[in-house]
Amino acid sequence: MIVGRRLQLPTSRSTEFVDITARLQDEIAAAGLRNGRLHLQSLHTTLGLAVNENEPFLLEDLTATLERLAPAGVPYRHDDLVRRPSVGPAEPINGHAHCRQLLLLPACTLLVEEGRLVLGPWQSVFAVELDGPRQRQVALQMDGDFGRRRAAARVIAPTTTVEADSKLARERRLVELELARQLLVDPEPVQLPMRRLVEAGGKRVRPLLAMLSSRLGRRADPLQAAALAGAIELIHDATLVHDDYVDEAPTRRGRPTVAAREGASTAIAVGDYYFAKAVRVIAQLGNPDVTTTIAQAVEAICLAQIDDVRLRGAFPGDYETYLKVVRGKTAALFAAACRAGAQLAGADEALIARLEHFGDLLGIAFQMVDDLLDYSERSGKPLGQDIRQRTVSLPLIYAVEHPDHGDRVRELLAGTPDEEQVREVQRLVIASGALDRVGEEARNLVSTALRELEEADLDGVRTLLADLARSAIDRVH
Amino acid sequence: MSERAEIDVHLRGLEPVWEEGMGDAYAFYRLRAPAEVALAAAMVESGLQLQRLGGQAPDAPRLLLGDLCLARASRLLAETRDQRLQVGFAQAVERTAAAAAGGPPAPPLRDLLTATIADAR
Repeated sequence: MIVGRRLQLPTSRSTEFVDITARLQDEIAAAGLRNGRLHLQSLHTTLGLAVNENEPFLLEDLTATLERLAPAGVPYRHDDLVRRPSVGPAEPINGHAHCRQLLLLPACTLLVEEGRLVLGPWQSVFAVELDGPRQRQVALQMDGDFGRRRAAARVIAPTTTVEADSKLARERRLVELELARQLLVDPEPVQLPMRRLVEAGGKRVRPLLAMLSSRLGRRADPLQAAALAGAIELIHDATLVHDDYVDEAPTRRGRPTVAAREGASTAIAVGDYYFAKAVRVIAQLGNPDVTTTIAQAVEAICLAQIDDVRLRGAFPGDYETYLKVVRGKTAALFAAACRAGAQLAGADEALIARLEHFGDLLGIAFQMVDDLLDYSERSGKPLGQDIRQRTVSLPLIYAVEHPDHGDRVRELLAGTPDEEQVREVQRLVIASGALDRVGEEARNLVSTALRELEEADLDGVRTLLADLARSAIDRVH
Repeated sequence: MSERAEIDVHLRGLEPVWEEGMGDAYAFYRLRAPAEVALAAAMVESGLQLQRLGGQAPDAPRLLLGDLCLARASRLLAETRDQRLQVGFAQAVERTAAAAAGGPPAPPLRDLLTATIADAR
């Protein structure tokens, strides 16, 4: 998920270091970002960014340094308005400010841990006005794990705690390191598009399930587990690259899709490359049971994708069809991640079966919540995509069952709805109570999934699996 | 069960692809490998052909059918429990896909698969 904001910034002097650290911290709190990244970008050519110490004499030194390196009041070709007939009389004389901006940052990324900016004791974040006073804007984007929002958002389950997130931090770090390591050695034409997708974030639920399950046996090995988890994430990402071509999606996780940026042909090659690479990495683990588990899951995903596209003609479908598609499309890899992790660690068969069932139920719940995001302005996904693409989706299935609104929804979905009709369908789905019904069902599935684990000996992993399960459906709608 | 009947079991959903050339590819690999490995090789070859790797992108159904070919080949190889074949086939797809995306050139896929089969004997 990605949250975007604009920081409005009035400045009062020609050169001014405006400390925006506290405002950034407020934005993080308002968005509910727990762990992730905050990206800042100046939207002006004479406003820079800097991370430095907020000490008044130092700020005078920095201002003097800028003045020394690019002094005002000396000739700049940019200021020779006679030679720039295209500009109007209001064009400012600011060649010095543009040159000074070269010495600062146009954009930067800051880390966020446990809801706080990661800054050293003397570090502050500044927007640096170079040609003020003016009204300025800084664009913000946040990605990572979001928890409870301070304002106006509904969540469908209790948020996980910061403490729980930090307990999962070791697993997350291992997964991220493994993904970075895996991508580093790949040829650039496939590596760069995949890195864009991987680095854009994602909840990493599948690899984390594999990591936690892999702690439940006598052969637990964190490095082998990380290799499996990274490969599972690559399989998931490879399917997304192909899906985005099929769905003609322009963006994914807030960034251009491979098909949109590099073209369809490259997208197909990138998906194939990472599918094959993931299969190889798993085979090299040397555990035939793990290899078979993942291979079966990938086949299930492919069969479900074919069904999903085929069923767009029978839109919006029924509950049984939905469940069949979702089991293959989403839950198969959740279940396989749990099963393969436990197999890798040498867990006993009864526990492996319980974990697999847990993953299956969690995967279905995850997809149900994903369907709800089609109605959330804060999801980072285009609203109404499932309706436009005729994707089988539970809120629509429930909405057509509604005694008052069902007929109209069915009528609107019979053809190809225009944008106004898409919005009408959305309004009717909300009015029908379908979103609440789906949210409730997802919560119940997670409860059932957790009960599945009650009898099992989970050796300290129970809380983490429970937290991960809840956070997987803890997405705003 | 006869060899043909076994093939039919594994072809579920891919029957048209068999008619389009997978059958010929299978006949080629069957001279060099056991039935399930030959079928996996034929599926890999057909999968990448369906997806027109490096050429003009196919429509969505053909892309997904290609994905299914690759996935089923992977499952067949997993069932052989032969790690060398699994790794070799995957590397062949990696090299072919990377070349199609503009990476280092790769030998023809059939050569790569044949070499893997020979090495695994």
